[in-house]
Amino acid sequence: MDNKRLEELLLTVQKPGRYSGGEINSVVKDKKNIDVRFAFCFPDTYEVGMSHLGMKILYSVFNEREDIWCERFFAPWVDFEKVMTDEKIPLFALESRDALSDFDIIGFTLQYELSYTNLLNMLKLGGVPLKACEREGLKNLVVAGGPCACNPEPLSDFVDLFFLGEGEEVDLELIDLYKQCKKNGASKQEFLQKAARIEGVYVPSLYDFSYNEDGTIASVTAKDGAPETIRKRIIKDLDKAHYPDRFVVPYIEIVHDRAVQEIFRGCIRGCRFCQAGFIYRPVREKSPDVINSQARALCENTGYDEVSISSLSTSDYRKLEPLLNEMLDWTNEEKVSMSLPSLRIDNFSPELLEKISHLRKSGLTFAPEAGTQRLRDVINKNITEDEILRTCRTAFEGGYTQVKLYFMLGLPTETDDDLRGIAQLGQKIVNAYYDTPNRPKGKSVNVGISVSSFVPKPYTPFQFEPQITREEILRRQQVLRESITTKKISLSWHESKTSFLEGVFARGDRRLGAVIETAFKKGCRFDGWDECFELEKWLEAFEECGVDPAFYANRTRSFDEINPWDHLDYGVTKKFLICENCAAHNAVTTPNCREKCAGCGAAIFGEGVCFEKC
Amino acid sequence: MKNVRIFYTKGSRMRFVSHLDMTRFMTRMLRKAKLPIWYTEGFHPHAYITFALPLSLGFESDYEIMDIRLNDDDYPIQDICDKLNAVFPEYVHAFCVAEPVQKVGKIGFAQFEITFQDNGLLLEALKEFLARNEIKCLKKTKKGAMKEIDIAPKIVESRVEGLENTTLYLTLPAGGEDNVNPELLLNAFFEQSGQNYYCYLVRRIGILNTEKEIFK
Repeated sequence: MDNKRLEELLLTVQKPGRYSGGEINSVVKDKKNIDVRFAFCFPDTYEVGMSHLGMKILYSVFNEREDIWCERFFAPWVDFEKVMTDEKIPLFALESRDALSDFDIIGFTLQYELSYTNLLNMLKLGGVPLKACEREGLKNLVVAGGPCACNPEPLSDFVDLFFLGEGEEVDLELIDLYKQCKKNGASKQEFLQKAARIEGVYVPSLYDFSYNEDGTIASVTAKDGAPETIRKRIIKDLDKAHYPDRFVVPYIEIVHDRAVQEIFRGCIRGCRFCQAGFIYRPVREKSPDVINSQARALCENTGYDEVSISSLSTSDYRKLEPLLNEMLDWTNEEKVSMSLPSLRIDNFSPELLEKISHLRKSGLTFAPEAGTQRLRDVINKNITEDEILRTCRTAFEGGYTQVKLYFMLGLPTETDDDLRGIAQLGQKIVNAYYDTPNRPKGKSVNVGISVSSFVPKPYTPFQFEPQITREEILRRQQVLRESITTKKISLSWHESKTSFLEGVFARGDRRLGAVIETAFKKGCRFDGWDECFELEKWLEAFEECGVDPAFYANRTRSFDEINPWDHLDYGVTKKFLICENCAAHNAVTTPNCREKCAGCGAAIFGEGVCFEKC
Repeated sequence: MKNVRIFYTKGSRMRFVSHLDMTRFMTRMLRKAKLPIWYTEGFHPHAYITFALPLSLGFESDYEIMDIRLNDDDYPIQDICDKLNAVFPEYVHAFCVAEPVQKVGKIGFAQFEITFQDNGLLLEALKEFLARNEIKCLKKTKKGAMKEIDIAPKIVESRVEGLENTTLYLTLPAGGEDNVNPELLLNAFFEQSGQNYYCYLVRRIGILNTEKEIFK
């Protein structure tokens, strides 16, 4: 492509740094020496995609290999998308500026359902045929992984194969097979059949679905030697796993513009609404020494002056205090600030608060998720009101005046009383502030309540539950709004319209492929962005394809119904999910993995918390 | 505490890095190069960096100036270029480090080289345009309003060369007192000369003091 012309055009759009490339630590190789060119595609903007840790890890894993060159692609924002279409500029890699269609393997990470149309848009802008069956030969093999790959069916028309679970090892195995097949001149079909035998690789075209009259799935049949069930992959020993010692450092400001240090994968808690809490099992920790030296190398090689500790629940890391002590040694010295997201209320100690109080004082954020103890028991969020209030008091004594609380609306069994419970809990926190004798002098308190709509997800005990309708979401929002009577509580929502679509795709099957394509052709993309989301077009697309979205989102599924993801094995068994669902309806809680093993099935991987010695 | 002035070039893909982003970028590079930078002593300490003259988004430059402070008075400043170039991407290059001679407020003018992708077609039109006694254009004032100004008397020096493509050399007022962005002149040219638009690249090639000597 003409670089001069491109650069001229870049000056006509917002934030050209999104597309310019050339960042510190980006990897440029000589393509003559490369066997496999891998296009790593994040189906959202540069600022969102560049903040994603998984991409940084895999970029580094692939580029460590001399025979692979992995480059980055992001969804262009609508202004540059128009320029690209008008000027016939194909979607290009930030490193080489070569078109997407030049790449051997095109890999997407699926972080949220509302990015699916962006996947199609990126293929189209890159000059790659949308449908898997329209792409002959091995060139432009489209693969995808990430959390949404746990129910990949809605995308099975477009994606050749999916990676289940963690990618560091399986991706390389697949690339090796690709390299071999490319050399031998194998057909795409031969390659896919072989790929299906790699553990953790799901090739949707090798599975036939048949349906009952009521629209539910009658059977899923594997063919051409593909396995009946496909088990996800995990990294057994995180201390030995590859972790990048440098990140690509963007010039423009991105969402999470800092070094990110992973400390463990998985979560011991088993909150029943939380997909991440089940699909990443079992919990596996990194040791403090490894974490410390990796974090330090990251800061040195990037020049970042902020490092964030990353996991699903930071305070569940068993050696958090020794780790913080070790890290504070050099972070204070080198003026690096540390942030600890994802702290839990029940083990947030004054000592911990003391440790982080030297650091930047942003607000405190907690996630009680539900307003009453009954509903918190239903969702297995094992925290009590006393714990919440005690933590808030500790925080107020430590000088905090802002607390932000996350809740969900539309949880199974939720009543209007539970909603009013959210407001009451907020009020109790306000009162707790004024009852704290040594609270910050002369300052007012602000309790932020942020409410999102619950979306039932696969591999959770709530995968059988109906999502409440949009009308009901709006009614319940109104109930909540009316029950808040003080200005010290500020209330914010997430959109109800997008939650509905998310709910359809989360538990959708391959009959939704036509809907996604139709909506995309009507102009839908960036559905996760309020300024781009157009519900009407989606509703038209459902109607034109004869698909009832309520069938996927708003229906109770019986325990013996075959779900579109039942042939994928994430360790956690359906039997366990059914038990948990029954426990939820009886408001019975389940202890966390470290208190007592609940027998979820994740022990099959032979590692992690299931085998920890106390 | 020691003040150090770093001279560097900025080109190619770095054109798309705005002034604001440049501050963050340079902070990271100074950290990465492990220079003993002095931090401000407020509640949120940050590295002390100032840029002598902001560069517009999209421009390249042969002569950029950044002042930093070191907390080690005995640090060998001749090593700084190498240390920075070892961490800089290929589109930024430090070529001189010295103690500041003049204060940033003494900056008076900037020199630009503007290359058009025109196969020489604009040469005569540019000469004619620059010879005009009056060149009216709209400039945004600091309050955000648009104001019509005449930039013809502000052009200190201009020269047009035509080899394969046309190249325009300009010296314009720069700094706190008066600052003229060459884009103003280029926009006025394309609007008022009746010529077709051709792509161009602006490169700042020098910064002068109020006495029209090289600013150091």
